Amino acid sequence: MPSVNELKEKLINTQIWRSMFRGGTWKDTSRDRAQHILGNVWLHLHPARIRQRAVRFTYTWGLGGLSFGLFMILTITGILLMFYYRPAVELAYRDMKDLEFAVSMGLFLRNLHRWSAHTMVLLVILHMVRVFLTGAYKTPREFNWGVGVVLLVLTLFLSFTGYLLPWDQLAIWAVTVGTNMASATPFLGAEGPFSSLLGVNGSNDARFALLGGTSVGANTLLRFYVMHCVAVPVVAGILMIVHFWRIRKDGFSAAPLAGDPPEKKMEVWPNLVVREYIGAILMLIFLVGWSVLQNAPLEELANPTVTPNPSKAPWYFLGLQELLVYFDPWLAGVKLPGIIALGLIAIPYLDPDPKAGVGYYSIKERPFANTVFLFGIGLWFVLITIGTFMRGPNWAWYWPWESWASHKPLPPPTWSLILVNLDGKMGQFFTSQKTAGLQIPGWAGVGAALAAAGGLFTTYFGAGIVLPKLVNKDLPFKKSVGIAVIASVAMGVLAKTAHTFLAKYDFIGKNMPHFGVTEIFYIAFFLSIVIVMGFLLPQRYLRKSPVSLVQYVVTMVLLLSMLGVVLKMGARLGFNIKYLFSLPGLNLNI
Amino acid sequence: MSDVPTSPSGSAPAPEGNFFNPEVTRRGLIAGAWGAFAAFLAGGAAATARYMLPNVLYEPSQRFKMGKLKDLPQGVTVNKENRVWVIRDDKGVYALWSRCTHLGCTPNWFQAESRFRCPCHGSNFNVAGDVIAGPAPKPLWRCSVDVTPDGDLVIDKSQMENRPGFRDRGAFFIPVAV
Repeated sequence: MPSVNELKEKLINTQIWRSMFRGGTWKDTSRDRAQHILGNVWLHLHPARIRQRAVRFTYTWGLGGLSFGLFMILTITGILLMFYYRPAVELAYRDMKDLEFAVSMGLFLRNLHRWSAHTMVLLVILHMVRVFLTGAYKTPREFNWGVGVVLLVLTLFLSFTGYLLPWDQLAIWAVTVGTNMASATPFLGAEGPFSSLLGVNGSNDARFALLGGTSVGANTLLRFYVMHCVAVPVVAGILMIVHFWRIRKDGFSAAPLAGDPPEKKMEVWPNLVVREYIGAILMLIFLVGWSVLQNAPLEELANPTVTPNPSKAPWYFLGLQELLVYFDPWLAGVKLPGIIALGLIAIPYLDPDPKAGVGYYSIKERPFANTVFLFGIGLWFVLITIGTFMRGPNWAWYWPWESWASHKPLPPPTWSLILVNLDGKMGQFFTSQKTAGLQIPGWAGVGAALAAAGGLFTTYFGAGIVLPKLVNKDLPFKKSVGIAVIASVAMGVLAKTAHTFLAKYDFIGKNMPHFGVTEIFYIAFFLSIVIVMGFLLPQRYLRKSPVSLVQYVVTMVLLLSMLGVVLKMGARLGFNIKYLFSLPGLNLNI
Repeated sequence: MSDVPTSPSGSAPAPEGNFFNPEVTRRGLIAGAWGAFAAFLAGGAAATARYMLPNVLYEPSQRFKMGKLKDLPQGVTVNKENRVWVIRDDKGVYALWSRCTHLGCTPNWFQAESRFRCPCHGSNFNVAGDVIAGPAPKPLWRCSVDVTPDGDLVIDKSQMENRPGFRDRGAFFIPVAV
């Protein structure tokens, strides 16, 4: 009786086995192992040998590879689901029910598909964070970082298009909200700025093309099905090929050679390949377990006449949905996501030092980059947390421990700081439903309001850009942060004092009937964030860094825009300010 | 070889000709061909974009009847099927499209609070359709309303208006006493 090892050796030395893998007789030498990687179409995206640091689990956490693994799981389960699913309004929901109750393993496959999709979105985001923190986007990997950002967007879009297919209540209302944002696109959306100049209306705009109609219906289902199953996966697949090719060509891993003499390299076959398989298997075990234990949600049949209350998007879009509370759709749904995506792509080109902190976690070596990036990611997840756990019926604020059955007071009326009223030809300040506020009639008023708005935004961005460079001396950082917090509290108290004197006037008293400790806290909290993040941090780290003027200005504009979002959230949550500037005639509200 | 005249820089002499009888150079011809190919691709892209806009829609009619006008009760009548609210007050009758101007969800009517509240992002509207809270940027749209000779109320959602001063007269308002 031959041993297992003897059988294995016999097998891999048969002519049939050897014909499948290039390299002749397998002698398990170093050369054989290298040849196995280089000569295999699936494995040759790996280098033959790799530095040990690059393979360490706590360096990459396997996030990129696992994301690709999830894409493969989603492709396979997706193809299987397609055998039973028909993308027609009358059939889709019934097919979902069939998959759940009448098809063997149908429920499991659907669960696996849904939970893998959630996991993939999370891992792709974490992969981006990992690459950022280890500086792995720097020269020569700038372009591949950009490809990665596009792949992230496509991952979200794949998830979004797949969301409609069950044709339940969750599906059509999330897609209704999502596609309505398309109509806020400048020029191409019927409700976006400038579109009327091009003759764009509800029957020929971007939303109409996306939906194949004026509302989410049969055409939309078919379109999303085709995009989800064919169009977007093909594009994503092509970009993945580019992404992996560039990883290989750009040196596979940014982890530097350590030690003197340099550390030994390890053989990819079998060391790295085995690790990849172990990672994939562990993830599969996790997903299979999850899919056995928990079913993917399926609500009642889609009903275009009744919106569920509350109506929530999937978790990774809830940050966006929460953002839509604070900004008009053209800002929250189009402009801010656009700035975020373009800003992410721009990061490698804004980095002044292509060598600092490449290939290892370097919080202290790149304090500015890491703080700002993590602040942005953190802000995004704060928004997601609010949208997921703190919003109940009518999108009112419910703490997680509060029952949704408890009655909430009506939302307070909102007011606008500056309003240009073109119909009545006047400029209005501190205006709301309750009070017309301060009015300046005529074109003079319109001009005054426009000038005030221009002054407001120019001052914010202008001062924000100039001040960190202007204060040209080393400030003690921790002490400065303390002073900033104290100054912010003082500003809150000052505002409270001003309020007590001005409350007798309608334009203050009616809009802000209450001004107490909570309001002082809001001012102190949001103001100190902006001073620390927007002034002290760049003053300390960007002032002396070798950034070019263009890099500096773009970086500051992106940073100030992000902080502007924070400020506007504070203005809305704390003071019920709806718009800082409103020009209803042109749909221009900020 | 040497008897062929060339310009000092070695490039071809400038072509002669005029607008009506142009001198065709090899370079110009190739540039023109590439230009034509680019124009073809641009045309193809435009045609594909147009292809994505369907010409015939199989959507419910925008114009429908809502029963006898005289039977319409006072206050807000919710019609989910056609996605409208019909409102009868002391002065007359008008119809609001039940579509939030923020992102297109259907708000709910709360009789006790006398307002429409949107479940998606928390916009609130009063009976006139004006925004009183939340992120909606515009008032609710009012639909065109009409009465047939035999007294049926007809609503047309293809004609909409939301500006004060325009939305409360003409095709968008039926002045009837209680």
